[in-house]
Formats: sequence, structure tokens, C-alpha cells
Amino acid sequence: MIHGIAMGCIALGIVFFFGATVGLLRFPDFYSRVHAAGKGDTLSSMLMLFGLGVLVLEDGHAADILVFIKIMMICVFVFLTSPTTTHALTDAGYAAGVKPWDRGEHE
Amino acid sequence: MKVFAFCLVFVTGVMLVMTAQDFPAWGDAHSAPNQYLSTYYIQHTYRDTAVPNIVTAVLADYRGFDTMFETSVIFCAGLGIAAILSFGPRNPKRRKRLGLPPSAEGDLIIQTTTRLLIPVTQLFALYVIAHGHHSPGGGFQGGVILAASFILLSLAYDLNMALSRLSDRLALLWGNGGLLIYAGIGLICVALGAHFLEYSALHAILPATDSVMARSHAMLGVEIGVGFTVMSMLFSIYTQLVSLGSLEDGL
Repeated sequence: MIHGIAMGCIALGIVFFFGATVGLLRFPDFYSRVHAAGKGDTLSSMLMLFGLGVLVLEDGHAADILVFIKIMMICVFVFLTSPTTTHALTDAGYAAGVKPWDRGEHE
Repeated sequence: MKVFAFCLVFVTGVMLVMTAQDFPAWGDAHSAPNQYLSTYYIQHTYRDTAVPNIVTAVLADYRGFDTMFETSVIFCAGLGIAAILSFGPRNPKRRKRLGLPPSAEGDLIIQTTTRLLIPVTQLFALYVIAHGHHSPGGGFQGGVILAASFILLSLAYDLNMALSRLSDRLALLWGNGGLLIYAGIGLICVALGAHFLEYSALHAILPATDSVMARSHAMLGVEIGVGFTVMSMLFSIYTQLVSLGSLEDGL
């Protein structure tokens, strides 16, 4: 059961990572690329870290709870810093005068 | 002047390359470190110093002299950069003359995240310094993390905000102080009748220690000194370089 949850989280994380990478490579301009990388990376690293943390708990040793807490703290910091980094990047790009992409369909 | 500097660097480089010829070959089983030195450290470190992390023990105890001068190299680097960049009149228009853009305004989201992160970063840095005996870490690493927290502050707010927390003068004083802590521990050992930096003599003045634990505790003291110097000097180098010595209106 625990093993299944962990594997599911890690697999889902890989899917989101794949999406973030495709977005980073395929999206047309700076802002949408940063958006793909920022959102996809944050969610997928959190999912994978959560999956790894649950996987540590599988053996049921009391000492593993500390490792789980540490991994969860990394999750919290990724949740705080990664969107902020994306925001800072986008803000700096806007301040530097990067034009958004506007050649799409306008209807 | 530039020719003179080039000659100096060239001669030093040639001498370094010539010295490198005398090194033992990579992985040479008959060289001195591979024959007995590493084995000695692996077998005796825990018995001698009660420190499980052999790297920390070698750096702070067996080769304490070397590490003290490494710390002083960092201090001299910071001092040199401060001396070169703050030479001449402090001209606030220097920035404009060099064609640098005006610094951006602060951003609420970044500032809030920074305020949440900096205490945790500094706590982690203290952990890295104090836990260097048992896990990777020590004064250099912890000092760098501490300096990074101050640099983050100056990036999220502005340079003056960070300098109001750790002023340039205070940074130089702390860099000095850290080195003084290191050399002072060595001098106390001399005063107690041992060699310079021979920590085991310190058990005479440290309460509730024997000569083995005294080495472990003295290593902690030395790491704290290194942490002070590295933190303040890296921050000082950053502030000097980013403001071209004027110490205002950085990035």
C-alpha cells in the first residue's frame, strides 16, 4: 500500500517533469517557458520528494521518521523558493523589456 | 604597471609548474601519503580526537596550521579588494560613469520569501559549523552559507539594508576576530606549555574534558573562528565588488 502510494507519486512527478521539459523546449516565448518550467518543476519535485519520503517510511523504523521530516522540509522550501524564483525571473525579464509573444490566434 | 604585474604572475606560474614536477604520480602506491599517512589518519583519528569525521579532524587538528593560513588567505583577499576598490575619493557618480543601470526597486514577493528563508538559512549555517565533527561541513561551508544569507538580503532589498545589518567596518572586524579566535586558541596552547595549536593541552583549562575531548572541543572553537572570517570576508568582497567600492546602491 505505502509502496504503491510512493511509486504513484514518483511516477506522477516524472510525468509533470516531462511536461515541464516539453514546455520549456516548445513554448514560443520567454514568459511561457518560465511558466512551464516554474510550475512543472515545483509540482514534480514536490511529488517526487513526497514519494521518496513515503518510501523511506516503508520499513517502519522509528528513526526513519526523522528522514521523512527532513524530506518534507525540503518540500516546504522548494514550495517557497521555486515560485519566487520564477516570479523574480519573469519580473527581471519584464523590467529588461522582453516582449510577450502575440502572434497567436486572437479570436 | 601592467607589464610588471604580468611578469610577476608569469614567474609565479612558472615556479608553480616547476614544483608540480616533483609531485608523486597520480595514485602512486609508493608515495608518502599512500604508504603510511592515510592509514595513520584512518586508524588513529577517532582514538586521538573523538571526532568521527576524519576530514574535519585532519583539517582542523592535524593540519591546523595549514587551515589557519587558508583562513588568513581569505582575510587578506577581502582586505586587498577593500583596499583597492575604496582607494581614491568615494564618488557616488562612479556607477553612472561606468554605465551601470540604476538598481531595481524592491519586490514584495521576493522580500517576503527572503524574510522567511533567511532565519532558516542562518540556522542551517550554524548547524553546519557546529556539526562539522559528525557530518560534512565545518567553518568554511557554514561561513559561506551565512554570507549567502546576507547576500540574499542585499539582493532582495538593497545594499544599504544589508550593510545596516552587517556594516563594512563590522565585517572587517569580524574577519579579524575570527582569525584572532583561531590564532588565540593556538596561543593558549603555547601558554599552557604545549606546541602552537596542540589542542590536547587545553584540557587543563576546559572543565570536564580529558586530553582527547579537548581536541574535539578546540576544533569546534577553531571552526567558529573560520566561520566568522569566511562569512564576513565573503560578504565584504561581495559588497565591495557589486558597488565598485562606493558601498551604496548595489545591484
